[in-house]
Amino acid sequence: MVDNRIEVRGLVKKYGEFAAVDGVSFDVKDNSIFAFLGPNGAGKSTTIGVLSTVQGRSAGEVRIGGRDVARDRDAVRRDLGVVFQESTLDGKLTVRENLRLHLSFYGIPRAEVPRRTEAALALVDMEEWGNAPAESLSGGMKRRVEIARALSHEPRVLFLDEPTTGLDPQTRANVWECVRRLQATRGTTVFLTTHSMEEAEIADHVVVIDKGKVVADDTPAHLKRLHTRTTLRARMDDPAGLEAFLRETGLEPRLRDGWLEAKVPGAALVVEAVRRFGGDLRDLEVSKGTLNDVFIALTGKEIRE
Amino acid sequence: MNSPVMALLARNLLKFGRDRMRLFMTLFMSGLFLFAFSFVTRGAGPLVGTPGGYLVSGVAVMTVFQTALNSSMSMLEDLSGGFLKEILVAPVPRWQVAAGQILSSMAISALQGAVVLAMGFFVGLRIDLLHGLLAFLVLLGMGASFGAIGLYLATVAKESANFQLLVVLVSLPLTFLSGAYIPAGMMPRFLLPVVWLNPLTWATASFRYVALGLEHASSSDLLRAGISFPVGGAVVGPLAGMGIVLALGGAFLLLSVERFSRADFSRIKIFKRHHR
Repeated sequence: MVDNRIEVRGLVKKYGEFAAVDGVSFDVKDNSIFAFLGPNGAGKSTTIGVLSTVQGRSAGEVRIGGRDVARDRDAVRRDLGVVFQESTLDGKLTVRENLRLHLSFYGIPRAEVPRRTEAALALVDMEEWGNAPAESLSGGMKRRVEIARALSHEPRVLFLDEPTTGLDPQTRANVWECVRRLQATRGTTVFLTTHSMEEAEIADHVVVIDKGKVVADDTPAHLKRLHTRTTLRARMDDPAGLEAFLRETGLEPRLRDGWLEAKVPGAALVVEAVRRFGGDLRDLEVSKGTLNDVFIALTGKEIRE
Repeated sequence: MNSPVMALLARNLLKFGRDRMRLFMTLFMSGLFLFAFSFVTRGAGPLVGTPGGYLVSGVAVMTVFQTALNSSMSMLEDLSGGFLKEILVAPVPRWQVAAGQILSSMAISALQGAVVLAMGFFVGLRIDLLHGLLAFLVLLGMGASFGAIGLYLATVAKESANFQLLVVLVSLPLTFLSGAYIPAGMMPRFLLPVVWLNPLTWATASFRYVALGLEHASSSDLLRAGISFPVGGAVVGPLAGMGIVLALGGAFLLLSVERFSRADFSRIKIFKRHHR
């Protein structure tokens, strides 16, 4: 049993003089969901490429399950399941054939293959599509099949490289539901990259990368506590009393489109404001800071698809 | 044992069986060649064996040659379609990936060569069971060697368009300087060194030797028919020729594995997007 399933120290990946990943270090705890966040071109896919043994590195150390990914490549590969940004299914084969082929690559005994195939399809609710050609599936279904395939050899780590790119909101929700369920039931360490801050909220731990460097490394809750504040918005006929109260506490409320707005440090102040001025309120909104606010605070720019 | 090599072979055979257009084109092109060249050989008269047998063996060799080269292109399709990444993250040594690919080219091309032999009965080929089996073995050997050459070209080309160009550049001169359609004895002397360096020459010669049952033919007949060749002061016969073809195949297998192992797949471009 290892505490850190993945350890990355001073990872550098250069293309000529350009460093796509520039001295990145982080740990991923065993049996956790880890999110690697950053805008397009930040170095996420390059990092996942090195971690998943597809790419070499220019410098640094990467260990998975205590093994060096370059020196013990095949042993590391047995422990990994990878879902790339693009579909890597063989479209001319059926869903089951794709899974069987995958299992043969991982040296799973022939007698074991049917059970593993069906179990993996059941995990993502795709049993009834098992005999369909992969090319006939929708984008969301392909994603689910790829997740099933990546899990079918029972890896210790599942890499998901932007797994919901190009999917509609409902399919995105299904994919995340599937990932959460799998992590909870199987205890697989999930390493996901995404540029959707909203989606990264499911992670136990987050590393934010920008221009090849780590700019934050923490839990989503702690990052939000450190870098964001709760927003209070109140609509009332006469907001003067509430405004004065907020100013007394050192805040800077503003009136905008008939709403009084203020960034507040925590829930206690909101409760107190409601206790004092609740009777005059016509409407009230309280919104927590998001990881997107964290990203803006850390990099001075918004993350975009 | 669920070996990756055999799994890759099974996968490629399955895909070949499902590609009806490819099957049809193979049969159609072979039939067309047999039909067109039957007039040429009829005019030229028999060199060894029957004119039909001489012709069919040439077309069968060319079919195996072209099919084995083109089958190797499936690696490029896997590269552009994304499937190669699935193989590359798996704990499968690169030599096994190359071996699976070459075995697939061998099996598919030898099967097509066998179909040509079967069609050959309609244009005068006569072959007994033993010679038929031996001929199939030679087709398998040629398929493996040409598959290895094709795989090497695929690792050099890296893109389907470049590969097609390379195949044309390689296959056209090799075809016409091999004796498959035009007997080597009819070629100008200055081209003979090129003929001797051409693996297709030896493949054609050894296949004709087996398929036409020439084990009792005299040395002078074999020389005259372009089955044996005078190289320097020695005569290189069809069996040594087959050895040359297999040795070349082995060399290209090693070259392919070496290129495959060194390849930086970090810049693989996948053209089919995930969503539809």
